[in-house]
Amino acid sequence: MEVDTVKDVFDRVVKKQKLKSSKTIDLVNHVEKEIDQAIKAIQGNGTEGDSAANMTHEILLNLKNKLKEMAPTKQLKSCQKEMNTALSTWVKTTEKLFIHDISKAYRNVDMEPNVLNELIANHLYREALFDIGDSFIGEASCTASLKLKQLFQNMYEIHGALKAGKPELALSWAMKNHDALLQNSYCLELKLHQFQFVDMLKQGNRDQALQYARAYLAPFATTRKEEIQRLIASILWAGRLDQSPYTEFLSPTNWEMLAEEFAQQFCNLIGQSSTDPMGTAVSVGAEVLPILIKLMTVVTAKRDWHSMKQFPFPLDLRSEFQFHSVFVCPVLRDQGGDGNAPMLLPCGHVLSKQSTLKLSKNSSRSFKCPYCPFEAMTSGCKQLYL
Amino acid sequence: MEMAIDTPSPSPSSASPAPSAAAGRQTRAAESVRLEHQLVRVPLEALRATARTNHRLAEKEIAAVLSSASAAPGDNGAAAAVDHLTSLVSRLHGLKRKMEEGARAEELQVQRCRARLDRLAAASAGDDGEWEDMRLKRILVDYMLRMSYYDTAAKLAETSGIQDLVDIDVFLDAKRVIDSLQNKEIAPALAWCAENKSRLKKSKSKLEFLLRLQEFVELVRAKNSLQAIAYGRKYLAPWASTHMKELQRVFATLVFRSTTNCVPYKVLFELNQWDSLVDQFKQEFYKLYGMTLEPLLNIYLQAGLTALKTPFCFEGNCPKEDPLSLDGFRKLAEPLPFSKQHHSKLVCHITKELMDTENPPLVLPNGYVYSTKALDEMAKKNEGKITCPRTGEVYNYTELVKAYIS
Repeated sequence: MEVDTVKDVFDRVVKKQKLKSSKTIDLVNHVEKEIDQAIKAIQGNGTEGDSAANMTHEILLNLKNKLKEMAPTKQLKSCQKEMNTALSTWVKTTEKLFIHDISKAYRNVDMEPNVLNELIANHLYREALFDIGDSFIGEASCTASLKLKQLFQNMYEIHGALKAGKPELALSWAMKNHDALLQNSYCLELKLHQFQFVDMLKQGNRDQALQYARAYLAPFATTRKEEIQRLIASILWAGRLDQSPYTEFLSPTNWEMLAEEFAQQFCNLIGQSSTDPMGTAVSVGAEVLPILIKLMTVVTAKRDWHSMKQFPFPLDLRSEFQFHSVFVCPVLRDQGGDGNAPMLLPCGHVLSKQSTLKLSKNSSRSFKCPYCPFEAMTSGCKQLYL
Repeated sequence: MEMAIDTPSPSPSSASPAPSAAAGRQTRAAESVRLEHQLVRVPLEALRATARTNHRLAEKEIAAVLSSASAAPGDNGAAAAVDHLTSLVSRLHGLKRKMEEGARAEELQVQRCRARLDRLAAASAGDDGEWEDMRLKRILVDYMLRMSYYDTAAKLAETSGIQDLVDIDVFLDAKRVIDSLQNKEIAPALAWCAENKSRLKKSKSKLEFLLRLQEFVELVRAKNSLQAIAYGRKYLAPWASTHMKELQRVFATLVFRSTTNCVPYKVLFELNQWDSLVDQFKQEFYKLYGMTLEPLLNIYLQAGLTALKTPFCFEGNCPKEDPLSLDGFRKLAEPLPFSKQHHSKLVCHITKELMDTENPPLVLPNGYVYSTKALDEMAKKNEGKITCPRTGEVYNYTELVKAYIS
């Protein structure tokens, strides 16, 4: 979309607005000047006598005519009109370039405010906006999971410390959750121990490092043999790691990345998504809304939303929003389901169970794969688990 | 068409070549910018309203000064004339001050418009994550403002630095009217109607009529029948041509009184009439400013959940990353239809990545399917052995077969 077009039209509005403002001020100044002149003229005439009175009269009449000639209200009106025209053009342009009313895609089905509010409160907590979350709960008088709040407070405390280059809190957390973390391929605990260990070596504290390794690195020896071997070998270069084959240990730590890694593992452990669910749902919404709006005119004409079990058109999503495997039989075009398990033919093509049954006339004979010349029997097909 | 058997294609590879990721991102950004009508429309309407008020003020004052100057009393001597004219000059000075204020207000609206246009221009060029984050914050502030959670809205806007991108002051204006309606005062709402008379008339709004009806009912409730009739004559009669039925019904309350048990009239005296007036006002207010009638959050969420909702979301092994693994989102999605898919999409159980021709699915002898990438890596680490993560069975890499899922 050309935001530039909108900007051009907008600039015209601004021009008219400025023109109007300055013109109004000019007009007022002009009127003021005329009146001022009249005042001066009257004062210059002196205040006594008939002739003065006559002069005053004349001056006032003169002023009246001049002001009438100026017709300031008329000028004002025309300025305002010009600005209004510019504004209307802008409205038209925006309505053309933007989707005028996105609520067209909205169907009036219940969105329970209580449920939604609780989701919002939890979202604010997980984004570390604790004060705002509390304020929201107060104003919306809704509930939120206090446990979740505490967990996230805990997480952000450690996260902040880690980001600032202080691994102690994270380390004690990792050691407390040693068993659960071991199942992960990326070993946060070992990584953190490594920092402490290398730090000691850098300062040349060989004995201390060795003791540390015995206490904390040794338990990883069976699962992380290679890494531990390398670390222990680096003890030989204590105090001069920069000249060793292990200079990589000295590379500046990316605390930011480590903190992110920690947050992910933390969420994983407490059974929370590492991405924000509210953000995901809204981003998906933004992605499908343009399509949905286009389709909606067709849909409403055909069917009632409430009785609709399945949305009649596919809404394709980016791969990062694809959370489930979906099997659509290429023959029957039906989506998954119990009777529709994917079956692997001996040639490698996959059809739904139902279509293999149909093609084989209920397993009574062999059938040709619809994709290649291969003949198959249902008995030769294997069910797949996606 | 649905039942037609696809013509066999010589190559089993699925899907047409994907358009380049960058191009996809670009069109996506452009499309999502097109949804932001409200963002640019509201400050425009605010600017229009401010400009109109300023114009009216200037027009009124200048006209008053003009007519007063023409009628200056020349007969009472020069001194009186000078006094009179001097008072006019000071009046003009007052006007100028007010106009400067007005110009500043307009300038603010202009700035806001520009900030938003700049924001949109940056959307297709800038950082996706940041744009999405800011959009979510804007949408949440919008929701809070519509639900009257003003303090939280202001706090969120401030901490996120998006004051220019949300319409707090516009909503605070509306809040005055809403608060007064909740206190059973009609005057501010009527004043609002008068301010926006021409535009309300254009959209055939009957808000003013409803407000007048309520005021009439209140007079009947207070047993001021004569006053009620006079009021009706003055304010309700003009609506007779378009809203005769409602008018007749309300007038009948004169007979039934507020203690009636006759249902069609009893409801008119119920207190929740005021709530429906608040709702009615909100609708008119949204329309006037070019806002969506529903909160943006509800619109985005409903669309998102419609696309995300699949039967698999409600199974036990729904991944946590799917919003529909949470009870709250499941509840919201309950009345929505399931999404439809035209093509198979396989998400690798191990890497969570989508499988495609670059990373095709491989089948273990037990029928479980994983991506080539994941299994290759596992085989490399374990000397060619593959352990099925879901059943624990162990196989050789050589036992795997390719599957063509289109």
